[in-house]
Amino acid sequence: MSLAEHPLRKYTRPHVKKTTTCPGCGNGIVAQAILWAIDELNREEGLSMDDFVFVSGIGCSAWIPSPLFAADTLHTTHGRPIAFATGVKLGLPRQKVLVASGDGDLAAIGGNHLIHAARRNIDLTVVMVNNGIYGMTGGQTAPTTPRGLNTITSPYGTMEPEFNVAAMVAAAGAPYVARWTTYHPRQLKRAIKKGIQKQGFSFIEAISQCPVQYGRVSKLGRATAILEHFRDHSLKLAKAREMSEEELAGKITVGEFCDRQAPELASQWSELRARLGKEQG
Amino acid sequence: MAKVTLFPQACKGMEDCGICALVCPQHLFTSSGEMNEAGYVPTRLTEPEECTGCQSCMLSCPDMAIVVVKEKGEEAS
Ligand SMILES: Cc1ncc(C[n+]2csc(CCOP(=O)(O)OP(=O)(O)O)c2C)c(N)n1
Ligand code: SF4
Ligand code: SF4
Ligand code: SF4
Ligand SMILES: [Mg+2]
Repeated sequence: MSLAEHPLRKYTRPHVKKTTTCPGCGNGIVAQAILWAIDELNREEGLSMDDFVFVSGIGCSAWIPSPLFAADTLHTTHGRPIAFATGVKLGLPRQKVLVASGDGDLAAIGGNHLIHAARRNIDLTVVMVNNGIYGMTGGQTAPTTPRGLNTITSPYGTMEPEFNVAAMVAAAGAPYVARWTTYHPRQLKRAIKKGIQKQGFSFIEAISQCPVQYGRVSKLGRATAILEHFRDHSLKLAKAREMSEEELAGKITVGEFCDRQAPELASQWSELRARLGKEQG
Repeated sequence: MAKVTLFPQACKGMEDCGICALVCPQHLFTSSGEMNEAGYVPTRLTEPEECTGCQSCMLSCPDMAIVVVKEKGEEAS
């Protein structure tokens, strides 16, 4: 018997029949990984889309939750989704708040929000789609662009080293940090699920393909060529830790950067409010 | 055995995407040769009976154009 519709369609808005992305874009794989994680949490813990608020900034990757997901979605300004999400979480502490946005959005213009949300340890799940470029605006250099790549804003090759965002977020204090690529959809789903379950700031970096802009400037071209690159250059963190910087050049380290417990901000605020309420009658 | 359902109207095309063809360990995807309403030429399965039900195509399709349902008794990965 053929299915009438995809099982994840129950989590998407009925009037949104198509994704907003170019053919082969990794954003759709990340969107699915988020929805499969929620589907598992629905079966195991009874979570529903009504328990979530999805927040995104500006960029192609910011179109992952909105308009696709049938839930409360906030499509905000460039670089600011974590600031909006912080307000949502403190105002509605019982909601699960998930941010999905791009590398430019979260690690360039929004970099300080990211660092301080990790340091404060507020209970958000941040899924950063790292396609190594500003996709939406036409292929400009991002802080995540590999050194040496010719982009439209660095025609002689970028001279700056690329930002190791996952390691930075772990160093800032986030209790859960993982990195996978879109060639690893199962691991990505598992990491997002763990991030949602974690009480505290969790950060999942999804190295993803932008065949149109990154594919053009890197000359890798098609989505499948970029995915083959991810397949052939990914290296588990445990192995990477035994290797030198030179040996690691050009490699994509994947796995869990940290998984630990730390006092969470929104619950501390709730406790303080309850305590003061009692003391002051 | 597993049952694969393709949604050709959601597919963005073998030529520009083709991710299912890359990830299928059985190499079962090929072009259908017929254009959909959006102007893309979606994929089709060459030998559906050779599908192992691994679900890699489903999890990797950016446009939710594939569903793989395993026969009873098998565990989803
Ligand atoms: C304040 C502000 N500055 C710049 C822009 C232009 N702008 C829109 S999207 C974008 C970069 C998007 O890159 P990224 O976050 O990596 O998303 P992608 O499109 O690659 O998914 C920029 C610079 C803007 N919209 N607002
Ligand atoms: S420009 Fe790149 S990131 Fe944006 S939708 Fe197209 S392929 Fe995806
Ligand atoms: S489930 Fe696995 S074997 Fe079957 S068509 Fe998809 S990728 Fe190929
Ligand atoms: S992965 Fe999906 S969208 Fe891409 S060619 Fe295959 S069926 Fe079509
Ligand atoms: Mg980007």
